[in-house]
Amino acid sequence: MDDKLLEIKDLVKIYGTKIQTKVLHEVSLDINKSEFMSIIGPSGSGKTTLLNIIGALDNATSGNIYFQNKDITKMKSDELASFRNLNLGFIFQFHHLLPEFTALENVIIPSWIKHKTPTKRKQQRAIELLEIVGLKDRINNKATDLSGGQQQRVAIARALINDPTLILADEPTGNLDSESTEQVYELLRNINKEFKTTFIIVTHDRHLAAKSDRVIEMVDGKINQDYLTASKGEELWHCLAPHNCLYYQQNEGKNGIAKPHNI
Amino acid sequence: MLYEWKIALRFLKDGKAQTLFILLGIAVGVAVQIFLSSLISGLQENLIDTTIGNRAHITITAKANSSVNSPDFEYINTPKKEDKLGNYQGIIEGLQKNKEISAVSPSVVGTALYNQGESSTSLVVKGIDLELADEIYDLKSRIAQGESDIDSNRVLIGTSFANEFNLTPGDLINLSLPGASVQSFIVGGIFDLESEALNGSWIFMELSRAQRIYGLNGYISNIEIQMNEPFDADILAPRLTTLYPEIDASDWKAENAQLLTGLNSQSSSSLTIQAFVLVAIALGISSVLAVSVVQKSKQIGILKAMGATSNSASSIFLIQGGVLGFIGGIFGILIGYLLIQGFIIGTTTASGPIFNIVVKRDNLILVVFISTMAGLISSFVPARKSSSLNPMEVIRNG
Repeated sequence: MDDKLLEIKDLVKIYGTKIQTKVLHEVSLDINKSEFMSIIGPSGSGKTTLLNIIGALDNATSGNIYFQNKDITKMKSDELASFRNLNLGFIFQFHHLLPEFTALENVIIPSWIKHKTPTKRKQQRAIELLEIVGLKDRINNKATDLSGGQQQRVAIARALINDPTLILADEPTGNLDSESTEQVYELLRNINKEFKTTFIIVTHDRHLAAKSDRVIEMVDGKINQDYLTASKGEELWHCLAPHNCLYYQQNEGKNGIAKPHNI
Repeated sequence: MLYEWKIALRFLKDGKAQTLFILLGIAVGVAVQIFLSSLISGLQENLIDTTIGNRAHITITAKANSSVNSPDFEYINTPKKEDKLGNYQGIIEGLQKNKEISAVSPSVVGTALYNQGESSTSLVVKGIDLELADEIYDLKSRIAQGESDIDSNRVLIGTSFANEFNLTPGDLINLSLPGASVQSFIVGGIFDLESEALNGSWIFMELSRAQRIYGLNGYISNIEIQMNEPFDADILAPRLTTLYPEIDASDWKAENAQLLTGLNSQSSSSLTIQAFVLVAIALGISSVLAVSVVQKSKQIGILKAMGATSNSASSIFLIQGGVLGFIGGIFGILIGYLLIQGFIIGTTTASGPIFNIVVKRDNLILVVFISTMAGLISSFVPARKSSSLNPMEVIRNG
């Protein structure tokens, strides 16, 4: 059985025309079905860019992305829109709910786009999802009348409404306190287990990364480390640290890179 | 309901103040259009009605120098040859069968002089068939005093003439006819044709009597025609002359060319004003939606990230434009109606409104259609902007 969901080959992203900045350097990566994966790395390392290109929100300069063996870099804009709608769920750091709509409507919107018109079944499903994220009594609140944590949970429910194969999350806990962060993680994990949904999560939060199945660390537009958390054992926290073990060992003394702090 | 509608309507509802202001702007513009066009068309219909409502639309006379109507002998007091039309029965029957024609009235026209003491006035005598002429002149309902009776030697005179010489129904009047003969008539009734000139100079009498006194036995002076569509008079007139080679036909439009030119230029200036109002409405909608695209760019970006196509993104703004135009148009009709009512109340004197303002239903539908189209068209540019919006821009900038 082919477990591969996503195959990324020699992905290059260059921003700018006159002054060119190469943000991704020939990145290649395979992602398996129902994997719960974190991408970590310092700001500017290209992790969000990688996520946006996987999510077909941004175009790669070169390279290919095969989603279930279909090259999405070859798709036209309307095909991509439909691809995003049917296969992907997005969770953004700033929630990006539509303030004009209620929590329930925000959750249903991707299904409106899919079916062109609202359906009873999806309405019911949206209520179930809001129940799963613990907002059953808030379904008719305007998006703006919810707290940050609640908004993020609405965004998670929204990402699930079309039963996506892959959920892309960019700093999903970036604006949340530790309690909300824990809740959001539990939620994502449960969804991953229950619906076999694949997760790619860009995060600065090492606690979140530590709970993932797999961690990819990016530095300067390259994949610096790629490991399963289960394989690291005690070493894991050390590796998750900024300027982690490997990176430090390779670059010690160069460019004034300091020894990592103990955690 | 397609989801683009739902989102478009929600955007409008959410931006309450902005939506209300632009709706008000459109409504005022549409109201001005309705008021102006109704006022102008009411004014014009009123003018046309006074000009041709109770007048002949086409007047048929004998063709000049026609051989058909040369009489065996001439009285000195007979009108000129070309004023005489013989064998008219056939023509009248033919005209009465024509579906475009609503009234046909043969008449004999002559002149007479009335003296009373030192003052005198010249009169136009019209010999008519009362029933036929009534269809054109509404004589029966326009009798101010007495009765519409022209049997034997009774005549109908106008109010101005009656007032000037202090005449009442039953009075005897002596008319000096061409050729120095004088004949006596009894005033049967006094008519008011709502025209000073006609009320002061016209006298109606029985057709056969007029034929006798002007020596026109077997002849008439002209046939007056009214049509269902008065504005087709200049099309029908030449057709009639082809049909009956012995006649000339003159239509009211040729006789009132100046009035028509005036009406036309009035219409075109009113259209010009309406066109500029429309442009102002369109620019208003366009600028409001352009601002709205910027305000809602985040939402559009999110929708696109979730799979909304560029077409959907642009239709959200097209729908908003169309809805604004449509609802603004409906409000405009209401405001326009109030304006017209206000105008009618403001201009009504003791004797009733100066003239009727005509609001045509077709015109209202057209105005709403035009304002909806204006809304749609003016949302093209914002819609294109929305369509080309890159979701990345929005998402990257939070």
